[in-house]
Amino acid sequence: MVKELERAGLPVVHVCTVTPISLTVGANRIVPAIAIPHPLGNPALDKEEEKALRRRLVLKALKALETEVDGQKVFED
Amino acid sequence: MRLEIGKINITDIRFADSSKIEGGVLYVNPEDLKPVVLEDDKLKGVVFDIAKPGESVRITPVKDVIEPRVKVEGKGGIFPGMIAKVDTVGSGKTLALKGMAVVTAGKIVGFQEGIIDMTGPGADYTPFSKTLNLVMVCEPVDDLKQHDYEKAVRMAGFRVAAKIGELARDLTADETCVYETCGIKEGIEKYPDLPRVGYVSMLQTQGLLHDTYVYGVDAKQIIPTILSPTEIMDGAIVSGNCVSACDKNPTYIHQNNPVVEDMFAEHGKSFNFVCQIITNENVYLADKERSSNMTAKLCRILDLDGVIVTQEGFGNPDTDLIMNCKKIEAEGVKTVIVTDEYAGRDGKSQSLADADPAADAVVTGGNANEVVILPKLDKVIGMLDYVNVIAGASDKTLRDDGSLEVELQVITGATNEMGFGRLSAR
Repeated sequence: MVKELERAGLPVVHVCTVTPISLTVGANRIVPAIAIPHPLGNPALDKEEEKALRRRLVLKALKALETEVDGQKVFED
Repeated sequence: MRLEIGKINITDIRFADSSKIEGGVLYVNPEDLKPVVLEDDKLKGVVFDIAKPGESVRITPVKDVIEPRVKVEGKGGIFPGMIAKVDTVGSGKTLALKGMAVVTAGKIVGFQEGIIDMTGPGADYTPFSKTLNLVMVCEPVDDLKQHDYEKAVRMAGFRVAAKIGELARDLTADETCVYETCGIKEGIEKYPDLPRVGYVSMLQTQGLLHDTYVYGVDAKQIIPTILSPTEIMDGAIVSGNCVSACDKNPTYIHQNNPVVEDMFAEHGKSFNFVCQIITNENVYLADKERSSNMTAKLCRILDLDGVIVTQEGFGNPDTDLIMNCKKIEAEGVKTVIVTDEYAGRDGKSQSLADADPAADAVVTGGNANEVVILPKLDKVIGMLDYVNVIAGASDKTLRDDGSLEVELQVITGATNEMGFGRLSAR
């Protein structure tokens, strides 16, 4: 999916937990997610904390989308 | 550590008035076993049944398969930390009932459990079509949560297997095998010219009822550690998982780990079998990194020349497998990895989710996506309610003539990644 969308000319951010697989598969902008059963949130947190976590993740992904990359890059904290 | 395994060959299982083993026949009175199951107040009923090789019987949904054993000499008891005290096991003498198994079944989660056919094409794929199976289908109390139900059935299986194992306590073994490993210094002195080889055993620890237990500890919470390979023969590692049953390790396979068995056969001949290293397959990337770092470090500290690595499961654990392989190789230790494949029904897709050039020696247990037709069998132990939703099935699985169209994925042990399965390749 990531590669096909990029081939069509759209920049893509792959938000995923297992970044090594994303690197193997060939994504260029990679944002690490939380965990495999809950990539975009954390049910162990209370509602407010989780909302903040999710917002941070989305903002980070948007930031990555705006960033020019030269080859593969994992956007660590 | 030195462990003797005395094998008691079981040639038949029959229901009877009193429970005993006589002349190789296991006689079982279900009334003796019911209280062992129902001592857990989360279970309200249990039905015992017997399935023999060649019979037209399908067992589903299968949770775990367990070999009854009893510890007759040495420290501890079978399934330490689970139902026996946490003494370190793996030395002394243990009796094992060969040719039979206790199979736990029931509608625990539904899509997670497996299928064992005792005859037909399905039987060719599961190693448990060759064992005499004492099957227990447990019924939970009303409104029991799935994770409590899973635990209750898991533990009930161990208690029943231990109770049956006790019947063999005073018997004489038909055959005895001795397994012995050395201390580090002793091994170097005894086998100065042999390569030092270890076994890295990856345990399924994905949470949500996909777990494994080591001396009673949920293996999600372990940092990789070292075992004498004889410890698992006394039940130091037990299964708490079975989804996509083809490549999960039921407790029986831990007890009878074929990699350990084969490595012992070569121990002191072509290499020095130093130890078993256990590690996990967690769902957080940091855990994957930490565990593979620790595993590689242990291989280095132990001065190993090579290791065999076995995986449990597929998908994201492929990354744990590749991380282990890559990092162990980077320490100068050669690896052979044992896995299976999800290469699509036509076998044309990428087999593993991750890859690396360091993984240049790979053994496969087969393609779990391969489709097979399982004909209708005369009797079902358990229920067919879940065959259309079980992992590896589809809404078209149960066909009008009663046969099942499924991927190998649904068959317990079919593509086992310790090589316990029956598939091979040319």
